[in-house]
Amino acid sequence: MPSWADFQPFIVTGLALGGIYALSGVGLVVLYRATGVLNLAFGAVGAMGGFIAWQLIHDGVPGWVGWLACILFSGLLTLAYGLVFGPALAGRGPLVQAVATLGLTLVLFGAMDLAWPTSAGQAPGITFPTDNGGFTIGQVQVTWTNVIELGAGVLITVATGAFLRYSKLGTAMRAMANDREITATLGVPVRRVEAAAWFGCGLLSGIAGVMLGDPSLDATTLTFTVVISSLAAALIARLRSIPVTLVAALVIGLVHDLLTPIQQLSNYQNMTPFVLAAVVLLVASRSQVMTRSREEG
Amino acid sequence: MSMIDTARHAAPAASSRLPPMDRRSLISTTVIAAALLLALFALPPLMSLYYTDTMTQVAIYSIVALGLGLLVGRVGLYSLGQLAVLAIGAWTGARLLFATGQPFILVLIEAGLVTMIIGSLITLPALRLRGLYLALITLMLAGAVTVILATVNFPNGGGGFSGYNGNQLHTPHIRRPSFAGTDPAFYRFSVIVAIVMFLLVFIHLRTRPGRAWAAIKQSEPAALAAGINTTFYKLWALALSAFVTGVAGALLAGADGQLYSIDFPVQNSISLLAVVLVGGAFSLAGAVVAAFLQSFVPALLQVWGVQQDWLTIIFGIGVLQVLATAPGGIADQFPKDMMKLYGLISRLWRRPTAAKPAGVAATEAKGGDPA
Repeated sequence: MPSWADFQPFIVTGLALGGIYALSGVGLVVLYRATGVLNLAFGAVGAMGGFIAWQLIHDGVPGWVGWLACILFSGLLTLAYGLVFGPALAGRGPLVQAVATLGLTLVLFGAMDLAWPTSAGQAPGITFPTDNGGFTIGQVQVTWTNVIELGAGVLITVATGAFLRYSKLGTAMRAMANDREITATLGVPVRRVEAAAWFGCGLLSGIAGVMLGDPSLDATTLTFTVVISSLAAALIARLRSIPVTLVAALVIGLVHDLLTPIQQLSNYQNMTPFVLAAVVLLVASRSQVMTRSREEG
Repeated sequence: MSMIDTARHAAPAASSRLPPMDRRSLISTTVIAAALLLALFALPPLMSLYYTDTMTQVAIYSIVALGLGLLVGRVGLYSLGQLAVLAIGAWTGARLLFATGQPFILVLIEAGLVTMIIGSLITLPALRLRGLYLALITLMLAGAVTVILATVNFPNGGGGFSGYNGNQLHTPHIRRPSFAGTDPAFYRFSVIVAIVMFLLVFIHLRTRPGRAWAAIKQSEPAALAAGINTTFYKLWALALSAFVTGVAGALLAGADGQLYSIDFPVQNSISLLAVVLVGGAFSLAGAVVAAFLQSFVPALLQVWGVQQDWLTIIFGIGVLQVLATAPGGIADQFPKDMMKLYGLISRLWRRPTAAKPAGVAATEAKGGDPA
């Protein structure tokens, strides 16, 4: 069994990872609440944005332009998908709508592998100027990037919570989560609110993509591992509660990284999100009652 | 599905005129029988080794697609982790084939049963969850199985429970049945196993479970109200799907000879769902179309030197298109389009000739031009 000192650095990285999962999870929850669509292409969109950012920076563009391009691209792409396929699949139920986003995932996945083959040239990765600077707590080195990642997760969660609670658009989104038809009858511009939710979700996927591109970009990891981890956090929150999403994401990030020094378990650390989400879901579903067909679709 | 149906429909065909519905099923059974005869007897001598192996994969993946199509199309359960189920079957099959001297067919059945038990045990608690949640749990489980397989590895003739020996220089091949040692023979064997699996599912669809599944797919509360034990029949569907997929896995072990955990990544589970949706989840023929999309088209693209990524992109577009406009997939859409095309061509063909006799008849009957 490794000593406490072996675990300490992984608390930092785990919390940083959890921060990214948190903001991704919040993006998924907000979109699902507002539109009824679970965006499984979240990771793929972010990954694509990350690759575009890397390409731009590689070609000599200043770093911040690349990061902004990534975030903006992800936002616009997600918005475009939402505008085209949101109405086309409206009323087909959450399952079909979620599977449709897998179609987008495949398209992006293929395009990424085509444009940036894994074997060719140098391994792409995004670096931040904050990677090297930092401070120490006790004997643990903390980089500013770690701080930013955790901070972004917490900040975005709090901001989203406040936005949903106090702003007009946020109230409209919450109303739509309750009942779309009644909300539309009350005069809320449903399409516009939905578009805003798609765009916001896309921006968050771009932020996650650019952050997870540090230190190395890998299409498969970004597309699947990340979306599964943040999805696990969102699922633990039953796709509903934003604070629970934050806590779950931090726990998933922490447990994942804390398993690294334990030799017997480090091979299985990628199972953390699956196991946590499965256990929580199965336990939580014990008290569920008979289905209402309306929910299901 | 072929011979019995042909016989049943052929008998009244001789005596009386066929209703249009029966004529259609007669045509389809004849087509199926012809395709099977072609696949079993005509193709093997014509195909090179490359295409023989590819067609073996098509036969195997048609079983996998059959299992997934059963869940998606008939019961309405979306499984995002079907490739993990296939991997469990392949692992079990490979382990049994290395460890024991049992006949291959027995191993196939055992692998199917083990996969069925594991699959049912895993999904039994998840069945409480509905729709979207169940689909996501299967995605999570698929990820978990992938992680475990990456650590445990596929058996390669080593000892112990896992049967994996990392230091081995020459990994022995997983054995094949004595009567199907060569590639063409194993191809024929795979096609026959696929036929048996299709028949198994076909019988299920035509009897009580099939009707129960149809009711569940329409509305679960209504099915429950009609006295159907929905949990039991959903579990039955999952078990049957896991069984056929497990058999396919053991078959895959024999076909490939050596298995690696990188052959079963999570993204392939998703592209498998994509080909099943594009091929057509509602019909048995769709499973065959899906298998061609999954195994044959990539092999063809490789020959032509086209990147596989284009196919991934097309599958993605296909999923979106199928979900938005053509839920029946290719298997449903293609005959419809062909009928339309046939109608179009026959109308073009008939118009110049048909106009004349009609005119002639009219003039004869009225004894002259009315104008």
